[in-house]
Amino acid sequence: MPPAPGQHPLDPSTLPQPIRDELLAPDPAPIDTAAKELRNGLNHCPKCGSTEVQHRAGSDRLVCLYCRNEWSGTRVEEGFGLGEGIADLQGVQIASGARDIAADAVSLRSFKCGGCGAEVVINTETAMTARCHWCRHVLGVNEQIDNGAVPDAVLPFHIKKDDAVARIRQFVNKRRLFALKAFKDEFTPENVVGVYLPYMVVDARGSADAAGIGEIETRRYTRSEGKNTVTYYDADVWRVQRHVDFTVDDLPLESSAKRGNLDTRTNTHNVINTILPFDTKNAVTWNAAYLLGYTSEKRDRDVQHLMPRLQDQMLSIARAQIQPSVRRYDRGVRWERERMDLKGTRWVSMYLPVWLYAYHQPGPSGGLLHYIATNGRTGETMGSVPVQQWKLVLAALTIGTVVEALALWIIAS
Amino acid sequence: MDSDAVLVLLALGPASAVGFYWAMHRHYRNTDKSHAFERETAVEVLSLTGPEADRKVDELRATRSARVQGDNVGNHRQRLQPM
Repeated sequence: MPPAPGQHPLDPSTLPQPIRDELLAPDPAPIDTAAKELRNGLNHCPKCGSTEVQHRAGSDRLVCLYCRNEWSGTRVEEGFGLGEGIADLQGVQIASGARDIAADAVSLRSFKCGGCGAEVVINTETAMTARCHWCRHVLGVNEQIDNGAVPDAVLPFHIKKDDAVARIRQFVNKRRLFALKAFKDEFTPENVVGVYLPYMVVDARGSADAAGIGEIETRRYTRSEGKNTVTYYDADVWRVQRHVDFTVDDLPLESSAKRGNLDTRTNTHNVINTILPFDTKNAVTWNAAYLLGYTSEKRDRDVQHLMPRLQDQMLSIARAQIQPSVRRYDRGVRWERERMDLKGTRWVSMYLPVWLYAYHQPGPSGGLLHYIATNGRTGETMGSVPVQQWKLVLAALTIGTVVEALALWIIAS
Repeated sequence: MDSDAVLVLLALGPASAVGFYWAMHRHYRNTDKSHAFERETAVEVLSLTGPEADRKVDELRATRSARVQGDNVGNHRQRLQPM
């Protein structure tokens, strides 16, 4: 059995002072983002007390459908100081909504209505609000339950449905000629669905090292060999090493196993990955009322599952940052070894808004689900349009034949 | 016309067919796209060291390749041996 948190196999009092100080230093306190005033599940309008609260499309505000009062949630960036102190991050800090999912957590949850006391069941897999069937109050899942369904923050939709439909139509119109006929016949962008997808937004501080070989050209000359001339190069070979300390602010990682699988042979999730990033600085504290009228997907990955992906992306960022410092090696650098040391990370779970259009292309082993996705904040659109293979092959062969005929004509003449 | 030029001209047909198929397929399916986090994330470099310690170890004479063998200076996502 693993020791309880804070327990050590050795008695710290028997150890030298510096080691004892380090062992007994307090663990980083989790950032508590739970909204205490919403705990009873009722999102009351602060003015009239009604629970008929909805997100006002195109803004970050909530509106009361009863008295038309409008207000907005606190930005988590300022509310919990998430934009500060990245250069001093130590260890792994996890916000309360990004905590590990309990192994026995279930999606179907029953909540006591704060209005009348009735038990209302909500399937947190797909919905975060329900109407009490007795007193008609709207209940939201606001408490940070242990199944990962409630994040620390939510970034409300800015792009309205009409706008998303227009963007998806424009995207497909640029890809019609070789598109699958069935896809074109069934294309109805009005069926686009607004989905809040789960992400972990990470601030990190790290140190990276890379070592390799760089070459600088010293001379270039040509020699004639038979009928051809060949270019030769002389170069100096250098052993190159770099060390970089850096911080990263708001790196988004998919916290759903399904969405995080970017294997383009079996799925098209890479197009949803492409519409990142979001303006996560504007994310507001969780309130289930933002999700009314949209669907959501639940997080199923914990911090430990996403750590390797963070390491990988941090290494790539480090290599990109190092690149300007090796410009003098004009024949390029062959990096051979690298290392990443993550000094400190801060994890916040968020629901980020995506408009999704899906088309299922039948085929062997279940076919392929093609997505066209629009970023619900920036409007960036990316998608996968299924191809009519025979048409594209025929066009390619035709072009190849014409070019070949031209080539033969040039050779003959 | 020498034999190399003839071969190049003959290869143009198949090459343009394959090239057209590949470019169109990519334009429709976008399988090569992903989040460009190296460029699109706010990164602050606190310190960068190393250039002063670079040292020359060898000289190459009369090589035919224009770049260092295995050049990966721009391929940031290629993972390497751990140090």
